[in-house]
This record gives sequence, C-alpha cells and structure tokens, in this order.
Amino acid sequence: MAFVRRWKGTGVFLGTELRMTLHDPLAIASSALVEGILLVFVWVLARDLLPFALLGSLVYSLFLIGQYVLSEAAYIRIDHRLNEMYHASPLSPEAYFLGMASGIGIGYIPTTLALFVLALVVVPMTAAGFVAILGVLLAVWTISASIAYTISTLFKDMKAIWPWASLIANVLGVVPPVFYPLDRWPVEWRSLALVLPTSGGAALAEAAAGILPLAQDEVVLAATALGLEALVAFAFTVWWSHRSAREA
Amino acid sequence: MPRASGADMAEDALRARDVRKTYRTRGGPAVEALRGVSLSIRRGERVALLGRNGAGKTTFLRIASTLLLPTAGTVEVLGHDVAAEPDAVRPLIGVVPQEGKPFFHLTPREQVYAYLRARGVPREEAHRKTEWALGRVGLEDVADRLAITLSGGQKQRTMVATILATEAPLLFLDEPTIGLDPFARRAVWETLRQLARAGSTILLTTHYLDEAEALSDRLYIVEEGRVLAEGTADSLKRQVGGTIRVSVKDGAGIADRLGTYGSTVTEDGTVHVVTGEEKVGEIVDLAMKRGLSATVGPVTLEEAFLRVVGRSIDED
Repeated sequence: MAFVRRWKGTGVFLGTELRMTLHDPLAIASSALVEGILLVFVWVLARDLLPFALLGSLVYSLFLIGQYVLSEAAYIRIDHRLNEMYHASPLSPEAYFLGMASGIGIGYIPTTLALFVLALVVVPMTAAGFVAILGVLLAVWTISASIAYTISTLFKDMKAIWPWASLIANVLGVVPPVFYPLDRWPVEWRSLALVLPTSGGAALAEAAAGILPLAQDEVVLAATALGLEALVAFAFTVWWSHRSAREA
Repeated sequence: MPRASGADMAEDALRARDVRKTYRTRGGPAVEALRGVSLSIRRGERVALLGRNGAGKTTFLRIASTLLLPTAGTVEVLGHDVAAEPDAVRPLIGVVPQEGKPFFHLTPREQVYAYLRARGVPREEAHRKTEWALGRVGLEDVADRLAITLSGGQKQRTMVATILATEAPLLFLDEPTIGLDPFARRAVWETLRQLARAGSTILLTTHYLDEAEALSDRLYIVEEGRVLAEGTADSLKRQVGGTIRVSVKDGAGIADRLGTYGSTVTEDGTVHVVTGEEKVGEIVDLAMKRGLSATVGPVTLEEAFLRVVGRSIDED
C-alpha cells in the first residue's frame, strides 16, 4: 500500500508535463533535427548504411528524449523554483521524477514514431524483433532520463547544465557506433561499445532486425549491460530524488 | 522574547525550538545560517519573519516546510515533527517559494488544477477549488491565458491561488512580492488578506517593512540567524522608547538638550527625537525659539527595525 502511495500522482504530473510539452510544438519538431540531418548525410554519402542509421537514430531519439528531462527538471528547479512547491506537498519525489520523465517522453514521441515507421519500411522485421527493439528503446530512455534527472539536481545555474547535456548526448550518442555499424568501430573496443547504453542498444536493435550479426555471448553482454544499467540508473534516481528533495 | 516556551501546543500551528542550521562548505568555513531560533504561530495567525537579506528567514522557512533538515532543534507543524514526519506534514502545508513562478506553458487554471491533482485532490473537487481560488485572487479574466503572457503580479497571484486552492491549514510564503511594482505588490497583499480571511495560518518572510506591517498580526525580527525581537508592529515601535518622532532640522547645536526628551539619532544634521506625545510641545517650542524647523510624525516600523538590528550589530 505504501508502495502504491509513493507512485500516486505520477500520472497527474505526467499529464502536466505533457500539456506543457505540447504547448511548444516547435521544440518537438526541432527534436528530430540531429537524427534528420544525420540520416540525410547517410542517404547521400553511404546509402547502404541507411538501415543502421535508421535503427541507430531510433535509439538516439529515445536517448535524446531522456536528455530533455535534464533541461526541463533544471529549468523548473532553478528558474521557477516549482520543485519546492511540489516537494513540500504530498506528491512523492519519485512520482515527480517519473511523471516528468514520462510526460516529456510522450510529448516528444512523434519523432520516434516517425523514425519507427521509416525503419519498418526500410528494414522489415519479425514480431519478436519488433518487441525486442521496443524493449531496447524503453531501456535506453530509462537510463537517459534517470541520468538526466540526477544531473539536473546538481547545479544551481542553467548555464552550467547546458554543456553537460551536449556532452552526454554527443559522447554517448554520436561518437560510439550508434548511427553506423558496430564493425566500423575498433575491434579492441567492441566490448565497450556493447556495454554503452546507446551503442549497445543500437547493436541489439540491429541484431533484432537481422541486419547485424552478433555472437550469442555478445547479445548476452549487451542485453545484460543494458538491463542492469536501466535498473541501476532508475533505482539510483528514485533514491536520489528522495535525497535531493530534502537538503541535509 | 519569543513566546515558544509558554505556548499552548493545541493552539499552535507551528512551534520551533532552538533551531540551528550550519552549512558546511567544501574547503570553506562553516556558515551558521540559524543560531537557535525559537518561535511559534497560533492557528489562524499571520506572522512575518522580518529581516535583512541573508538573515536566515528563508532557511527557517525551508526547514519548516520539510525542504531542509535542521542541524539541531525541532520544528513541529500541527503537532508533527518536520524532520521525523515529513510525510505527515506535507499534506498540511502549502509553499510559495522565493521568486517562484508558475509553469509558463500552462494557464493559471491549468496550473492550479494540476497542482491540486498532484496533491491527490479528486477531479471534481479540484475543478471546484480551482475556480474558487482563481475567483478569490481575481484571475478569472486571465485564467485561460498562458502564464508566460501574464504580468509579474498576475504570475505571483497565480502562485498564491495555487496554494490557496489547497486549503492547507498552514501556508508559507517566501518573499511573496519581491521584484514586483507597487501596484502589483498591493494586488498580492490583497490576495494574502483574502487568504487570512479564509482562515489560513500564514508564515511569510519579507524584508519590506511596510509589507510586514500590512500583512501580519505579529512579527519576528531576525538577524544573523537569531530572533532579536517579537511582537506586533505597535509593540515593536513602542520598544523604540516612544510613539512620536520629532525631527529638528540643523538641530545638532541643541542635540544635548533634545536628548533629555528621549532617544536621539542625528542624520545629515537633522536630529530625530523619539519621545512620548506629552513632550512634543516642549521640543517644538525649543526648536522654534532657536529658529529651527521641526516636523512631527509617528514612529515607523522602520525605526524600530533599525533600532533593534542596529543594536545587535553594535553589540557584535
């Protein structure tokens, strides 16, 4: 009962965040910018890599949606101080975090849906592959949103946060093999790519779609890493949301 | 003296005893933000914490509203310890944070309703309370405009409406009119008076003396983490040593004589004498005989504040 009570209000705060996100359609449209530009480059320069780039952009779009939580949570906390109004209310900090992350997730989902439809057209996949990709996307979003929320609580100035958002999105999203195949990545660092949430997620999605051959142990490594990372990141952020809602 | 120790607990909405807060900074010296604050607020009372910036007002309010843990001491809200029972305290309070702003991409109606729903208020009741609160603060006409298009005063009234709608027994407002123009300030004041008429217990912090006097039944003057004085605005003014201030322009030459009528302060050659009504005539006569002009007015809360805080600074 206490467990249910802790999450009560998540849906309501999700609705609040979603309503705010939908009030800003330009931001939603611009969220597809990075993926769109990269896809155009791949289409022009290396069309044979398009299936990889499409599945990678799907993973990246969910990762990026998670990162929007960083800006939003920091903005509400630093510019509006509304987190205090909510934290000094019966709404639990974890419901506040999950509601915000989910609201932003749903608000920005049109980009991901468009990419998903495009991916289905370009890369035919089985029902099992489809479900596996959904699982990968959910895990990537969970990791990204959790890390983003935690980071948002650490700064007192919006300007200090922007470089972090950019750094995380690029270091984890653009540098490793997310938009390009895993075999173009140095062989000796292959394991690292598989345990990173973005490139590991992309590799799993591509393997599920049948366009990237992955050894059984590599699938296990990537899936275990992704699952554990999602679990740990989410659990830590739930704990941290409590801890940071009330300063010591 | 603060009346915390003698208070009847059943009547107290808030009771703080010897609250201390020390911030430890990495590599720097520890900062004592609160150094033993004791105070109490009766149910239905409007109380202001008055003090300069950095006096510790916000720190106290954040502790009382479960957002910050005290280093020592206790705060009870309606019988619940804020440190040990935050989940019991939170449904009983509403907080307008310092420089808090509504969600810019929500309308006041959406903002109030969403907050009520997040607090667990059922849909129908939330709709009803939202309309009631917006009506009380006079925001009906702009209730469906995005908050980003509202004036500063309207935004602040949206914040006040949000906590008013909760009908929480104890409301905290941290510097509720900071940065607002005089018209907007008075509009917010009127809103806060509405809150009081609705029976809410209010603790507000401010460094505006007129605001403290206009909005509170009782004041605590806070300086450097300590309560220096407590009472009504009138009782604090009386602590200055009189109720009337006579200002004698260029009166430095008769400052000693003026000092026999009450306490004096000289500022830019003008000697201000705080005294009782019965001595006003004598002081004015004295000034006129010397060809000096004298003006007479009531002692203000500002004088009381400066006297109390100034004395504390001198002692330090």
